[in-house]
Amino acid sequence: QSTGSSGINAEYGDFVRAGSKIVCVGRNYAKHAKELGNALPTKPLLFTKPTTCYVTNGGKVKYPTITNDLHYEVELGVVIGKRASQVPIEEIMNHVAGYAISVDITCRDIQEDCKKERSPWTMAKCLDTFCPVGEFIPSERIDPLNTEVLLKVNNELKQHGNTKDMIFSVPTLIEYINRHITLLPGDLVLTGTPEGVGPLQRGDEIYAAIPGVTEATFTVE
Amino acid sequence: MKDFVQKGTKIICIGRNYAKHAAELGNQVPSEPFYFIKPTTCYVENGGDIIYHKITKNLHHELELGVVVGRKMSRVPKEDVMAHVAGYCISNDVTCRDLQEKCKSERKPWSISKCLDTHCAVGPFIPASELSHNNIEMVLKVNGEVRQSTNTKNMLFDVPTLLEYVNRHITLLPGDLVQTGTPEGVGPMHVGDIVTLSIPGVSEASFKIIDDC
Repeated sequence: QSTGSSGINAEYGDFVRAGSKIVCVGRNYAKHAKELGNALPTKPLLFTKPTTCYVTNGGKVKYPTITNDLHYEVELGVVIGKRASQVPIEEIMNHVAGYAISVDITCRDIQEDCKKERSPWTMAKCLDTFCPVGEFIPSERIDPLNTEVLLKVNNELKQHGNTKDMIFSVPTLIEYINRHITLLPGDLVLTGTPEGVGPLQRGDEIYAAIPGVTEATFTVE
Repeated sequence: MKDFVQKGTKIICIGRNYAKHAAELGNQVPSEPFYFIKPTTCYVENGGDIIYHKITKNLHHELELGVVVGRKMSRVPKEDVMAHVAGYCISNDVTCRDLQEKCKSERKPWSISKCLDTHCAVGPFIPASELSHNNIEMVLKVNGEVRQSTNTKNMLFDVPTLLEYVNRHITLLPGDLVQTGTPEGVGPMHVGDIVTLSIPGVSEASFKIIDDC
C-alpha cells in the first residue's frame, strides 16, 4: 500500500475493492424526511451496507424476489483516504480522498416492515447489488457543501438536489461517525438523499450524476 | 482461515436464535431468521480490550458461536452449505443495550448499538473438523462467574439453515463471520471486568473492558 505525502493511502481510487464497509446516513435532507413522513433527526441516523452491495458503472441492480417496492435514492458518496478514528472536525476533511456518485437501493416495503417490527434494516438495505457507484472523483473537484446530485429513471428526471440542503454537512457526518466507528482507506460514506425517491421496475435504466463532473448508468434486472 | 479477522469483509449477526433469550428481552420467537451486520472494525481478538464507549450506559455481553466462511457462497442450497465452512470461533456480540432500546422505540436501524469499534470480540479460529455445529458447549464468564452457558443444539435455526438463509440474498466471502445468536443470560459488563468466552476443552479467549478515552 503506497501513501502520498499527505499520508493518504493511494488505494482509495479503487475503493470498491480496497474498502471495508459502506456507512450510510439517513434523513439528511429535510424534504426527503418529510416525503417519507419522518421527523427531522437531532443526530445523524446511521446504518451500514457490506461491500457485497457494490455495483460499478454499467452494472446491474438485481430486483430481489422478496420485495414489491424497490426504490432508488441518489447520494453523494465520500471516499475515505486516511484512517480516521476520533479525529476532530477541524481536521476531518484531511482524511477524505474524494467522492463518488452513489445510489442507496432500498426495499421500501421491507423497510416499513422493519420499522413496524422495530428490527434492523438489513433486508431492506444490504442485499447484493444495493450500492451502485460511479467512478472515484478526487476531492479537489468537489465542494461537499455545494454539489448537485441528480438521478433519472428511463431518462426522466426523478431527483435533483444540492448538498447545501443537507441537515448535517459532510464534515459533521464524518466526524460523528469516526467518534465510535473507525473509518479506513477505501471506506465509503453515503450522505443521504434529497426528495424524489420512488420505485424501480425490472428493465429500468438508472442514470446518476453530478452534472459536469461524473455520471454512471445501471440497469435493473 | 486462521486470519479470518484480517481477511473477512463483514460479520453477519443472527438475532433471537435461542428461545429463552428471545423471552428474556420480551421478544417474540421469529418465524424466520433475522440478522444485522457488523463491520470488521468491530473486531477485537483474544487478549484485547473491549471499549465501554461513552455514548452508552448499559454495555451487554452476548455469547455466540461464530462460523467462519471458507469459500464464496451465493445461493448455495442447504445441503451444500457446510462444505463452504472453514471453521468456527467463540465470540461476544457486544451490544449497547440502552441504545438498542432507543433504536427500537424510534424504529431506527440498530447500527449505533451494535457496530462500534471493538464490539465483536472473537477467540481463535477452530478448524471445522474439530466441532459438530449442533453440539457445541459454550460458556461466558464475567470476573470468573458464569453468566451464560448453552449448547448449540438449543438453536431455533441450525447453522446450515442460517447460512442458506443469509446466502440467498447476500454473498458470503472467505473469512466472513456469521455469529449465530446468543442464549439467555445476557447482562451488563463494567469497566475493569474480565470477560472470558470458552468452548470447554477446545477454545478460550479473554477480554478486558476499558474506558473510552
